[in-house]
Amino acid sequence: MELKTLCELNGASGQEGAVRKAVLEAARPLCDDVHIDRMGNVIAFKKGRTGNRHILFSAHMDEVGFIILDATDDGLLIFRPVGGIDPRVTVSKYVLAGEKKLKGVIGALAIHLQTAEDRKRVLGYDNLYIDIGAKTKEEALADCPPGSYAYFDSAYQPFGDGCVVSKALDDRVGCYNLLRLLEGEYDADITCAFVTQEEVGLRGATGAAFAAQADTVIVLEGTTAGDMGAVEKARRVCEPGLGVVVSFMDNASIANRSLYQELLALAERKAVPCQIKRGSTGGNDAGAYQRSKAGVRTCVLSVPCRYIHGPSSVVKLSDVEAQYALAKAYAESAK
Amino acid sequence: MKIEDFLREVTAIPGVTGNEGAAADYIADAFRPYADEVRVTPLNCVVARQKGEGPKVLICAHLDEIGMMVSRIEEDGSLRLQSVGGVDPRVLPGMRVRVYAREGMLLGVVGATPPHLLKEADRKNNYNWDTLFVDLGMDAEQVRQKVRLGDTVCFEARYVEMKNDRVATKTADDRACVAIMLEAARRLRQMAHQADLYFVATCQEEIGSYGALISGFALEPDMGVAFDVCHAETPGAPRNSTSKITSLVTSKGPFLNSFLVKKLEETAKENGIELQFAVDPRYTSTDADELSVTRAGVPTVLLSLPIKYMHTNVETLDMHALKEGGRLLAHYLAAIQGSWEDELWN
Repeated sequence: MELKTLCELNGASGQEGAVRKAVLEAARPLCDDVHIDRMGNVIAFKKGRTGNRHILFSAHMDEVGFIILDATDDGLLIFRPVGGIDPRVTVSKYVLAGEKKLKGVIGALAIHLQTAEDRKRVLGYDNLYIDIGAKTKEEALADCPPGSYAYFDSAYQPFGDGCVVSKALDDRVGCYNLLRLLEGEYDADITCAFVTQEEVGLRGATGAAFAAQADTVIVLEGTTAGDMGAVEKARRVCEPGLGVVVSFMDNASIANRSLYQELLALAERKAVPCQIKRGSTGGNDAGAYQRSKAGVRTCVLSVPCRYIHGPSSVVKLSDVEAQYALAKAYAESAK
Repeated sequence: MKIEDFLREVTAIPGVTGNEGAAADYIADAFRPYADEVRVTPLNCVVARQKGEGPKVLICAHLDEIGMMVSRIEEDGSLRLQSVGGVDPRVLPGMRVRVYAREGMLLGVVGATPPHLLKEADRKNNYNWDTLFVDLGMDAEQVRQKVRLGDTVCFEARYVEMKNDRVATKTADDRACVAIMLEAARRLRQMAHQADLYFVATCQEEIGSYGALISGFALEPDMGVAFDVCHAETPGAPRNSTSKITSLVTSKGPFLNSFLVKKLEETAKENGIELQFAVDPRYTSTDADELSVTRAGVPTVLLSLPIKYMHTNVETLDMHALKEGGRLLAHYLAAIQGSWEDELWN
């Protein structure tokens, strides 16, 4: 399945249905058993030639999005983010709202009408609205009742030198590479878990980890690259173009030391472009896996992603390839 | 050509102030079927004439748009921008922009220093021209080969059709009003009119109405009809500065000729067209300000189309109001008589 197809599906936390359906259909012919678990995760199992080891690769299906709370008397939708979206990236953006995917925009007070104070102040979600053209509250809520979701209306576009810009690259890059891993043949048993609700607290992975039988978990993620705009070198935790990012720790987990070293050595041996994440920002599903049951060893392999959690996140495709290459090399090395 | 199709196409064309050539050529072609003569002036104003024996009337709406220019290329290849006209930098983070470089258009993404790298105090502030940049997805060396300082940068352009005939697009300010002029010109082809009509799509409004200034000088009109957008109601907007999105607005005030305003009001009534009123005690901040004092003076009336979210890529208008605006303008221009000139100051 194309990365473009996966990115252009809408699936905020709690509403991953479209992604789940696509992933389920793509995974079915590639594995021995595939099922949907109690948290809505898609668990795809592939029996290995020896089955001496069992590796679980995980990526999350959900993306950040918006949820509708109410509407104003003149028909503007009141909304909040699902997952962390800096309100500063929502101003003047295109959205699709409700089940009918109605086209809309997030408008804000025109510059001419702002006071000097307004110009400095960040517009919070109390002052932002989705405009779908509705004239009244009733009309707006008939189409988008409270609890409906809205998404950035944001196409996947290649640009620059081997880069793409899209919404939801975090973590459809991971889903994309999980599906590719299922195409291989391995000695070890392999589970690919496409999990839900990462963006609202690693909730899907917590359920998946409880049922998992694996001895090792590798999480495939998209991670923040804040490298552009004259950021000092010391503050750039990773950079697009330098390969897959291996984390020694983040805010949710500490990588298993031997696994971490094994992955770095493997990258060197197989000439997979690889960079160590030079910081411990962020957190992801590895935290849920690591502390499940009696504990599981984990490590995170990420694709550096600029402007993450926005309508226009950017990755370099060579890094997506590097993530796949290193995960595959690890799966093949497990005897 | 359907007016919706014109608006969709014309708003997609880049035409940042000072760089309006492509927009001017497109607009000139659109007026050709309805005009006796059409020309593009050296500064990229479009002048389309419908001949008449009566008073010479200049009708204008501006074709230029706000945008940006590349002001610096950083060591890492990111571009810093400077505003051309009043761009609100709050709308930029996460926007896909178009950089018009030597060898063609490059897609760029507006990025900003991520929150975790900002100082605590800066997290509470909006991003500004110092913290925003354009990422072209290539290394610095490639960027330097392709991009030069001063290259034009344009907003993302999409034409979003919403409920109730509402449309969100870049450059509704002011090409929606150019569309109203075109609609009026189309209607006037089937109507009798005394006035000698000059429809002018003006350049360089966003930095000071220079297109109206030079067009007024060149054409020496007897009367002027200036067209621009005004603010439609949105949350947080002061009531006195906004109008309903559903119909055109005309302004009253010292810069605007009260006889011409009265005639406009009568035309709207006679033809059953909704018209709102606004009050501008001094500047209108439109082409009307310059036009009305060009040469020995041009008695001028101002018509405005209310839009939401002005000076963004999602300027939102009501298509019904736009079409009715075309009808109103056509009837108004057809009503102009030579005798009006004697009554202008009565």
